[in-house]
Amino acid sequence: MATLQSNHAYSMGERYGQHPDDGEYPGRLIIVEGIDGSGKSTQVDLLQKWLRSRNLVTVFTEWNSSPIVKRTTKQAKVNELLTPMSFSLIHAADFASRVHAQILPALRAGAIVLADRYVYTAFARDATRGVNRDWVRRIYSFAVQPTLALYFRVPLDVSIERIGSGRADMKFYEAGQDMGFSNNRQESFRIFQNKLLDEYEGMTEEFGLITIDATLPIAVQQQQVRRYVEPLIEDSMEVGGQSVPEALGHAGLSGRYITDPPRRRLTEQDILRLERSRD
Amino acid sequence: MKTMSFYGHTPPGMGEEPVPGRIIVVEGTDGVGRSTQIAMLQEWLEAEGYAVLVSGFRRSEVAASGIDRAMRGNTLDALTLNLLYATDFWDRMERSIVPALRTGMVALVDRYIFSIIARARVRGVPLGWLNDVFEFALVPDRVLFLDVDVEHLLPRVLSVRQMDHWESGEDFLRGPDLYDNFIRYQAALIKEFRGLAKQHNFVMVDARGTVGEVFRTLQGEVREALKDMGSE
Repeated sequence: MATLQSNHAYSMGERYGQHPDDGEYPGRLIIVEGIDGSGKSTQVDLLQKWLRSRNLVTVFTEWNSSPIVKRTTKQAKVNELLTPMSFSLIHAADFASRVHAQILPALRAGAIVLADRYVYTAFARDATRGVNRDWVRRIYSFAVQPTLALYFRVPLDVSIERIGSGRADMKFYEAGQDMGFSNNRQESFRIFQNKLLDEYEGMTEEFGLITIDATLPIAVQQQQVRRYVEPLIEDSMEVGGQSVPEALGHAGLSGRYITDPPRRRLTEQDILRLERSRD
Repeated sequence: MKTMSFYGHTPPGMGEEPVPGRIIVVEGTDGVGRSTQIAMLQEWLEAEGYAVLVSGFRRSEVAASGIDRAMRGNTLDALTLNLLYATDFWDRMERSIVPALRTGMVALVDRYIFSIIARARVRGVPLGWLNDVFEFALVPDRVLFLDVDVEHLLPRVLSVRQMDHWESGEDFLRGPDLYDNFIRYQAALIKEFRGLAKQHNFVMVDARGTVGEVFRTLQGEVREALKDMGSE
């Protein structure tokens, strides 16, 4: 069984870098990183389907999604209240909540946890916003060390073309407009993403992230991903009895989206509607 | 003028710059009488001609309602709560306390990072990490600590209101007895505060006296802290 420990590589010197709930876990933590448009979410999605087809228990968690924090973050973003430090701290709160409520329990149970973005996203974004690099790393010292960390490297032009240059729903903070790079949202996005790429490049060595060439065809990338994952999943936790597709098959259900309903992101309108319905 | 200084690195948007204002913190455990004393200090200082900003916990635009919401649930862990408090604290520091100091006001702060740290400590969060998180905090000109032991705290709390779930540490303490939990939790908090007091040179104010006695002691300390203000 693989043993995971909090990553004391982040903490400088004494080993306080441990989550209070910390211990040894039979689970695996696989994380994907990369800028917007790198294709990492597609790859982690394909990976999860593969693992499920092998009857393994997987738990998916994504950046900025804690049920108890994300609404606060969303409201602050909509109202453009966040500055580099509050942006950093509130995302750390979101992450801490997911470590406590999702990641650690799943690892203790022996599941494979798949994380779309991890601490490296905070390291890249916060540093780009001028927050002290060393401080951010120490704040996240309670994070669990991933079993496997994959970085999807993509040139800026390719990622921007994938996202679509005229993406209408690009938001203020996504474009890094809080930093005053440019009044033009697309232009600001480009400058911001370029700075993030620089941060990621530095981190591949600092944290030993495994780089995947994200310009390759999706299927080729997925083969590489599976080659890295394969040796790590021996004696992972299996779904009891029959596999999920089998069970669904017996119930007369089949199809591509049966086991994995498409995840829809909350839009600002959704949030506002929720707010109104609460009052 | 006094130069702003921070516990660790200087956070973005700020510098070790001279400011005409002063920051005075009143710390102490739940129910010790902080808010009463702060209200009286504000009255007095304003009558003396100072512009005063009062800042308290969970007053930030960014995180206040989020903390309230999170505390209503039951899956809130100590690290997350601490980071939400840190967000709230930073937002108030950046958008009200520091601007007040820059314009020459007296910032009276009801609880500071020490309350957040003490609460997290008793819930098992490592001190090294907490010190790291709050590196960005401004070092106050004075920290006035209202010191009391649990025996003297009890009658105050009981005569004003009932014991509260969070003030009794019931989010992490076992046992059905609210009274026991309150005693254990407050005793542990006070112990943490006294440790922080030594480390950070708090001015210890005996809070067992009458409201008037405590106020006169605080007045003396505040007068001392402000004596060279405005003369630069």
